[in-house]
Amino acid sequence: MTPKSSSPVFTTQFDTGNQEFVATGVLRPRSITDIADDLLLLRDKVETVQGVFYVNLKRVTHMNSTAFRALARVLIEASRSRPELKIVILTSSVVTWATQMFRHLNELSPNISMEIYDSAFYPGQTFVEDKSFIPILRTQTKMTWRHEREILPRHGLRCGMAIADICCGIGDFAMLVRKEFHPARIVALDHSVASLDYARSVAEDFCIRDIEYTYGDASQTLFESDQFDFVTCRHSLQIFDRPELLLRELYRICKPGGRVYITNEKNSHCLGEPRADSIQWTYNEVAKLFRHFDMDVEMGPKGSRLLLDTGFEDVRIESFMVTNLDGDPQEFADVIEAWENVYAGEMSVRRGDSPEFIARFRQGFRDHIFAALHPRGYAGWPIWAASGQKPL
Amino acid sequence: MKRQEATATADRAFDQLLNLEMEMATFTSDWLHCDQLSNYVARMVSHDRRDPLRHSNLLSSALNELLEMSFRSDTQEGALICVFSRHEQIERIELSFPCPSQQRRFYSELVRGLKHSGKLASYVEVIANETAPLEQAVLLGLAVNYDADIELRASSADALTFVVDLPLERLLN
Repeated sequence: MTPKSSSPVFTTQFDTGNQEFVATGVLRPRSITDIADDLLLLRDKVETVQGVFYVNLKRVTHMNSTAFRALARVLIEASRSRPELKIVILTSSVVTWATQMFRHLNELSPNISMEIYDSAFYPGQTFVEDKSFIPILRTQTKMTWRHEREILPRHGLRCGMAIADICCGIGDFAMLVRKEFHPARIVALDHSVASLDYARSVAEDFCIRDIEYTYGDASQTLFESDQFDFVTCRHSLQIFDRPELLLRELYRICKPGGRVYITNEKNSHCLGEPRADSIQWTYNEVAKLFRHFDMDVEMGPKGSRLLLDTGFEDVRIESFMVTNLDGDPQEFADVIEAWENVYAGEMSVRRGDSPEFIARFRQGFRDHIFAALHPRGYAGWPIWAASGQKPL
Repeated sequence: MKRQEATATADRAFDQLLNLEMEMATFTSDWLHCDQLSNYVARMVSHDRRDPLRHSNLLSSALNELLEMSFRSDTQEGALICVFSRHEQIERIELSFPCPSQQRRFYSELVRGLKHSGKLASYVEVIANETAPLEQAVLLGLAVNYDADIELRASSADALTFVVDLPLERLLN
């Protein structure tokens, strides 16, 4: 501890297009004069808007009572002087103190409300949160791990590193990495309470206490910057409607010199023999179906560009094919059957597709299963692994 | 069982995790010590909680409020002592700091006020009231937002000890 220590970072800005006052960082001033400029900006901007004024506090990790009362007073004054204005405070479900504190403002002014930002950024999550999907997720990880345990060292993973697995799902990848690479620290974050509950129960069953599971928003985590040697984010950028936002966060929490590792699919390249045409048609339709829900399951080969655009250096990319010949073909078939149930049975129905379309859509999955289980068949699921180094 | 004995039994149930002591003059030499200490201590004691990161974030917020309050004490002679302990789902902060008698009376009054009904209404009023003392907002805020149980304990003649029990695991899950 030194008197020369620097202040925690805090910034405010106003987004005119969204009528949104955005605060970020740690807000623990000694007196309100320390945040006078920020309060002035808030006071000025709240006077300029019509309709709804948003106060975005999702990325404020700490706020003391001095700041809270000062902010509250500005907002209450504004709501009273402009009763036609609606003020909406956006907080994160991850940051408990914020929701606890700001819920009271509505009692002081009915024009002020609080919205708890939750899963709006994860359009794909609801499709895979069902508990029945867990065995399939485990099988998928088992199938990809056969390849990734050899691929990961080529992307810089070494023993003894500090690792973050972002969008960890049911936590099985973190468990495998822990066993194989003996990290100094491993944190696994996900936005699904159900998946984390499952991950914790598995860890408890195996007496594993050194994986830190945390509930969080992958695009706005509570981690401090420059924390991890190796950050993984597997099969998740592709089901996130703003992948560049997530990549920026992965970049932020990665140490300079550390690496971020991502995997994504290109679904239209799933293949099989026999019945190749039917299989190809269905997986082309899978890509279009995900696009309808703002997800890009064709992202795999774009990994290199995405990493470079975020500012990473020494970008490496490779692909691997999970096939029915890797292990038990029935496992491959079980995964395809689960895809059929979710993609044709739920997503396609939700899009409003005709029974005829759904029947043809299902047939491609069944043909993929047929190819996987055929004694002379071949069935593949291609995945792209890419990584980049955060500049020193 | 007499009340004192019951309190002593309850106190014994808490396992001490950390005991931190520093000169008050050193502590008050830089405002940022509140932020740094609260983050450091919160991280240390949260590592084995169900969600260490969020537990640490919430605990740091509560502890920082107490540290900032002690930072504003009218005297700098003596030591700041922060004892951290745990019993099941409850985290206990025992924060002692030098405090002149007049200020001790002020705090006693505030803590007595927390025992009355209508804490929430008082807090809502204090949020918007610029003239309400910051210490009142801090203690009411801890009681209302963190569901904290706050006591004052007799300390040495020139010091004061806040005992704050925080059911953070319940708030997080």
